[in-house]
Amino acid sequence: MRFVIRRFLLFVAALLAISVVIFAALRILPGDVASVMAGLNAPPERVAQLRSQMGLDRPLIVQYFSWMGGLLHGDFGTSLLTGRSISSMVAMRASVTFPLIVLGLVVALAIGLTLGVVATLATRPAVRSAFHFVAIVGGAIPALWGGLLLILLFGRGTGLLGILPSQGFPEAGWSSFGSALASLVLPALTVGIIDGASLMRYTRSALGDVMNSGYIDQAMACGYTRRQAALKVGLRLATPQLVSVVGLMFAGMITGVMVIESLFALPGIGAGLITDLGNRDLIAVQSELFMLAAFFLFVGFLVDLLHRFLDPRLKHAVQGGAQ
Amino acid sequence: MTSKDECSTTDTNQASRESTNMSQDIVSSVGNSVIQPSGKVFKSTKARSSNKLTVVLRSIWQRGEGKFALIVLALWVAVSLVSLVWTPQSLWATDGYHVWAKPSAAHWLGTDGTGADVFSWLMAGARTNLFIAILAVVFAGALGILLMGAMVSRNSALSNVSVVAVDALISIPTALIALILAVPMGASVAVIIIACGIGYGLNLARIARPQALLAANSDYVASSLSYGASGFSVMLHHILPNAMPTIMVQLSLSAGTAVLAESGLTYLGVGVPSGVPSWGHSLATSVKFINVYPLTVLWPGLIVTVVVVALNVFGDVLRDAIDPVTNPELREV
Amino acid sequence: MSVEVKQLGVSIADKRIVQNVDLHIGDGERVGLIGSSGSGKSMISKAMFGLLPTNAQISGSVMLGDTQIIGADETVLASLRGRYVGAVFQNPASSLNPVLAVGKQIELPLKLHYDLDKADRQARVAAMLEKVGLDETTAQKYPSELSGGQQQRVGIATALITSPRLIIADEPTTALDSITQRQIVDLLVSLVDKAGASMLFITHDFSVLARATTRCYVLDNGQIIEFGDTSDLLNNPQNGQTKKLVGAARELTLQRKRDSDD
Repeated sequence: MRFVIRRFLLFVAALLAISVVIFAALRILPGDVASVMAGLNAPPERVAQLRSQMGLDRPLIVQYFSWMGGLLHGDFGTSLLTGRSISSMVAMRASVTFPLIVLGLVVALAIGLTLGVVATLATRPAVRSAFHFVAIVGGAIPALWGGLLLILLFGRGTGLLGILPSQGFPEAGWSSFGSALASLVLPALTVGIIDGASLMRYTRSALGDVMNSGYIDQAMACGYTRRQAALKVGLRLATPQLVSVVGLMFAGMITGVMVIESLFALPGIGAGLITDLGNRDLIAVQSELFMLAAFFLFVGFLVDLLHRFLDPRLKHAVQGGAQ
Repeated sequence: MTSKDECSTTDTNQASRESTNMSQDIVSSVGNSVIQPSGKVFKSTKARSSNKLTVVLRSIWQRGEGKFALIVLALWVAVSLVSLVWTPQSLWATDGYHVWAKPSAAHWLGTDGTGADVFSWLMAGARTNLFIAILAVVFAGALGILLMGAMVSRNSALSNVSVVAVDALISIPTALIALILAVPMGASVAVIIIACGIGYGLNLARIARPQALLAANSDYVASSLSYGASGFSVMLHHILPNAMPTIMVQLSLSAGTAVLAESGLTYLGVGVPSGVPSWGHSLATSVKFINVYPLTVLWPGLIVTVVVVALNVFGDVLRDAIDPVTNPELREV
Repeated sequence: MSVEVKQLGVSIADKRIVQNVDLHIGDGERVGLIGSSGSGKSMISKAMFGLLPTNAQISGSVMLGDTQIIGADETVLASLRGRYVGAVFQNPASSLNPVLAVGKQIELPLKLHYDLDKADRQARVAAMLEKVGLDETTAQKYPSELSGGQQQRVGIATALITSPRLIIADEPTTALDSITQRQIVDLLVSLVDKAGASMLFITHDFSVLARATTRCYVLDNGQIIEFGDTSDLLNNPQNGQTKKLVGAARELTLQRKRDSDD
């Protein structure tokens, strides 16, 4: 329990630190946010008007606390370009991005865990090196390029086997469920295949370490075959490590997701953030960056808790050099 | 993520492997300063480390995949250097009448949407990517080693704070750091380098920490401290050499991730600015026209994939080549 | 169960680890296998019930009773392990499953080989815990909550729960302090004798060997260099290598005695 509290305090502290960094990044612009937003040729009155509208004429510390105060109340500000509240904008984008990440993760887990286990248990050297090759090449493909190749293969209109939509998301959103899902298939495959290849390597290395350990000897001595021991004992023992990897991978996925959303013209969080950045809608950018950072810090927090929960050794371990 | 998170559990197997690894290093570091039983005095440290490098490179070369990695990496460096003085066509020789031209004697891989030579741009892109990869790795290495030193420091306030900070910040993806940086800095090579440096540096510190901790808690560190060695000298002479194999392997994997990051960030408009040749730039500019000219998009992606594969393979082979346990030749140097 | 090993050879990655090993264990006999670390002891024990790593090449013959082990199908081997052959390993901290309660681990061989209901299995586990000198509440604990000696008692309980005919003990006392070592050896010997099982006891420590075995083989560099009655071997070693090992063991024992006298 003390660990949970300590880790939570750490999460809050990191969140505060990140908020200061993001706030500062937007304040050290040449000129200020208002003049950047108004554009190069804007008349001074327009800049001044923007400045007071956004409260930029107040002292920095006041600005920071009014921003943070808003965040605490769930008020993320209003986009100056569209006039809509940023939280509703983000919620709408999340309805694309979140399913995309989850689908991508499912694909990655299905590919990575299965192939990782099969590769670990394979005994023939040729089979082992074939799996090794697949894992290394799969993990080295740039997301952008992988997406393009899939479009060239399966994209409707362009692909050799044009069966799936490769551009856009239905206007009606998830109310037209079938086409919404169809439009996420290729993007999710792109993200999932690439991360699946990396996950396969981690699975093989984590499970391989366990398979060489005394735990597997003991399990086999009780009457398991090697394969049974791998599935029933090995995987469970590799789980804490894999959870950490998948957690980090989940966070790292957003990089690929931003590229993939832009490539497949999906109105998600990543593509939206890039658009807002391009449009210099900096108030929106500020809040969106913070929300993303908060999300990742939270995932890191959950992963650490889960890791602890899954490995009783850590709980009982006396404070020592080994950890 | 290319990082190996192998060290996060308290697997005793691994701990014992690390300690054998460590004792090998103790043996070799002792051998460094004494006269060998045969009476032969060791050469100076400098000659010794270059010997070590030759041995490592030779054992990498002896393996098929190591040969592949070394050839690709050497080619990358060579092309980067050549591109500084010569490319088949000038980068800026655009020709509005010959856009998207097919490969020909003049344009080996055809031309792009402005009529510029694809091959020349890819050659010139090599040097930008090499520059980014090297600087990102240097930055990540420096940051990672500093953080690692702080994490195993005897000053408990410093070590606690740094452990906690690294644990929390590690979940912030590199792309997000790049976006935050891009707000004030705009699209620039520096954004990629700093973002990758921070992200990979944090990763490196976390991965190298167990080894560093083993060394820091060892008896020989305790004894050199008792002889009055400073914390800095212990870090330099005992902790760093022990963590070095892990650090080198991790950095070589990071170089690959940096090449991948360049292509993604450049496409998103926060990486290499337009007009500067890079593989990400070549990839991004051809994306819009894949329906019409799918072949031009093939080359930059293929190059990135091959180079990243080479860096990853290099890291894997290096892991075995640099470890005195798996590479007996190293012990004899 | 008797064991007959003939011309056993094991190599890994083309490196010979064990060669030309002949070894016999009679029914109900306790036999030792001693050698310095790296001499190939563990490889021999692993070869005897199909636990060698998958990249190992094996030659020769190992008969457990009437069953040929070398080249046998994995499912055949698995049906022997935990039922007719039980194993106790060197370091319980790195062999007992850290995420499984102790009771479940002791129960596992029963579950895999016998068709018993849950209450029956639990009763047998409780009885076994008592036999190895642990109290009933231990069943709910995790290995990391136990001391090294207690963990090894759990290891012994797991190996003996199905009353196997052969026990392979691979350096079961090496990870323990000297007083606990003696207790564990005595416990193992009394339980094995009571069950009428045979035992192969592997160690690099002569002082433990005398307590645990009646006959023994000395292994050096993957080959048997000497064998005979344990007491004869200890008092009058013939081979130079054996003399060295015995000498070292005596010094160690004397030193330990001095330490404990202080």
